[in-house]
Amino acid sequence: MKILVAVKQVAALEEDFEIRADGKDVDEDFMLYDLNEWDDYSLEEAMKIKESSDTEVEVVVVSVGPDRVDESLRKCLAKGADRAIRVWDDSAEGSDAVVIGRILAEVIKKEAPDMVFAGVQSSDQAYASTGISVASYLNWPHAAVVADLQYKPGDNKAVVRRELEGGLLQEVEINCPAVLTIQLGINKPRYASLRGIKQAATKPIEEVSLGDLSLSAGDVGAANSMSRVRRMYVPEKGRATMIEGTLAEQAAKIIQIINEFKGA
Amino acid sequence: MSVLSTKYGKKPHSPSELNMQDSTDALVKLAIKAGDPYVAAAVHELATGASKRRLEAQMMGTRRTALSLARWEHTPASVLAALSGIGDDAVDLRLDKNPNTASGVLSNLYVDASNKRNLNLTKLIAQHRNSEAGILKSIALHAEDAESLLALSKNPSATAEVLACLSARVADGELSVALNKNIAQNISASSDLLARIYEHSDLHTQAAIIGHVNCPDSLIAAAMDSEDLLVMRTLARDKRVTADTLGRYARSDDAGVRCGVAANAATPVSLISELINDRSELVRREIASRADLLPVHIVKLLVDADVWVRQRLARNEIAPLPVLRAFAADAQADVRRAVARNTQCPLELLEVLATDSNAWVRAAVAYQHHTPQELLVELSADEDVDVLSGVANNPNTPQQILEKLVTSSEADVRRGVILNKAATRKTLLPLLEDPYYLHRVLMVTNPSMQELDKWNLREDPDYQVRFSVYRWAVKNIAPINARYIVGNEVIRRRRV
Repeated sequence: MKILVAVKQVAALEEDFEIRADGKDVDEDFMLYDLNEWDDYSLEEAMKIKESSDTEVEVVVVSVGPDRVDESLRKCLAKGADRAIRVWDDSAEGSDAVVIGRILAEVIKKEAPDMVFAGVQSSDQAYASTGISVASYLNWPHAAVVADLQYKPGDNKAVVRRELEGGLLQEVEINCPAVLTIQLGINKPRYASLRGIKQAATKPIEEVSLGDLSLSAGDVGAANSMSRVRRMYVPEKGRATMIEGTLAEQAAKIIQIINEFKGA
Repeated sequence: MSVLSTKYGKKPHSPSELNMQDSTDALVKLAIKAGDPYVAAAVHELATGASKRRLEAQMMGTRRTALSLARWEHTPASVLAALSGIGDDAVDLRLDKNPNTASGVLSNLYVDASNKRNLNLTKLIAQHRNSEAGILKSIALHAEDAESLLALSKNPSATAEVLACLSARVADGELSVALNKNIAQNISASSDLLARIYEHSDLHTQAAIIGHVNCPDSLIAAAMDSEDLLVMRTLARDKRVTADTLGRYARSDDAGVRCGVAANAATPVSLISELINDRSELVRREIASRADLLPVHIVKLLVDADVWVRQRLARNEIAPLPVLRAFAADAQADVRRAVARNTQCPLELLEVLATDSNAWVRAAVAYQHHTPQELLVELSADEDVDVLSGVANNPNTPQQILEKLVTSSEADVRRGVILNKAATRKTLLPLLEDPYYLHRVLMVTNPSMQELDKWNLREDPDYQVRFSVYRWAVKNIAPINARYIVGNEVIRRRRV
């Protein structure tokens, strides 16, 4: 039994940042990298299945990205993942989520897992389409925004509860193998133990090239994506104004604004 | 023998074995060898000459690291001073915002900002708490942009003289009005300046001046005749107001004014007897917290329909035992919890509340500092994380129970043990390997741990733990034995 978890190293922005010279992204010096929050929950869900199973379950984490991504993969290893795979080629720079999905799908074909987890979305780009793209390339069933999962290794079906608008949950039975995109709050992600961190530091991370996946530079990158970033910019400031004055005056102004909005 | 006993069980060296200079040099050498920018930052202030330059190379090796250290709230002042020499505007921006940046560095940055006419940096220096009076005075006298002047007027580090200069320089127009509003709320404003501003200010500013700790008595006396609500609400809380005025305020139509009287320690008992029947629960809540309530007041408040009134009385240390007994059986859990949190809550009620159906009530018993051991042992069998956190925090909890709680899967419970001042080293030892980095940071500053326990965390995977260990070593350089540090490294190298 094998569960593959697709993870991403995401970038958070500092309070003050500068846009890159080409105007298409933020200067890397101002980015703080970490494992995507949604992926932390995906990994935990896989670990829960592994730890509660009588049969052997292998958890494999996969990411597409440059060397720095190893840090996030090691974090997954420290939390208990058995193996980590990183796919990269400089030509993959600028790939959109659909191309990333295609690369991951090729890894999945080789690994042949019984179940694939991905986060609902990444916190930096928020396309929410990588997991779904993977399912599409594999022609596997998929369920998005999974807030609860009932699945035992070996089952040919899983029952998921999907989070919908308005506080609704939708219970869905899904054939396996399947691709599930996992929602925040489905579990309580663990902290890596010190022992786990130390062991992860010595574990190998399998580096996979595009060639290993029968892909080439002509399949990836911005030029071969269906969407491309044209520019990134900070929009002009809106109508926000600072409310000045003494504390009592500020409170009075806020009450006045609220009353105006209420039509009072 | 356990791993912990072999790893942490060594006897620490006594302060008498110390050689301070050796310790300093050894620490710097180790930091250089570690090649870690955060460790380098931790010991930077100890280094001189070539060692200092090597540490700075580690800290500023990449722009990314320099930016990171410049904005980090724990970065020591000496490192921020070194970073100011880079000449990178993005780094300077972070230094201007960092609360640890020293006054001298801010002065240099002000000169740069003035030369470059960088108004954003000038504004940040104008509002920085560490900016020295000379710089702030220069900004008051020469800055041309309103934002810098407004930022300065809010800065509590601006002296009375600086604020007076600012107020005198901008004497007219909208900016003057805005500046005076801020000065009226600035703790550094002098009585004279407040009196001058008061004369030609609007009611909001005048009310702020009336509420200022330096407000002249003459203004208070004159303001007592005012019928303005803002002024009355402010004065109603002021101890300098006469009993007659408080009496007039107690009959005000405005609940805010009456609340002020109810909260005023100078309010006479006769007025409390009036306000205890007030139609506004906000007023009665203030009354319920007073330390000078008479039995007749307490009897009245005991049956108040408002939960918050009863809750406040239940927390009040003067509440007598019969009242606490009644509140311990209140239908509202918040009231019962307030009884359990009352420092005067007797054992008989703690025993009752320890079995309450509401976990927050039981948690309050667990946190109560005079809850006895036997009750804490019973509560340690609870399954609620808040109750267990309280047990973990309580200094009366037996060590045997704390030793169990350090293995809890709940981080809050384990943190409770770390914060428990009675937790012994033996109890705390497993937490040196706690998965949560913040707990390991707390262990570095825990007084129950021995020097060697802390020092052994110096190669922790988390940079904040490593930084904390080296900062601890810098601040406690005397208790560290230099020969041990160096010797330990020699032993380690031989093993390799």
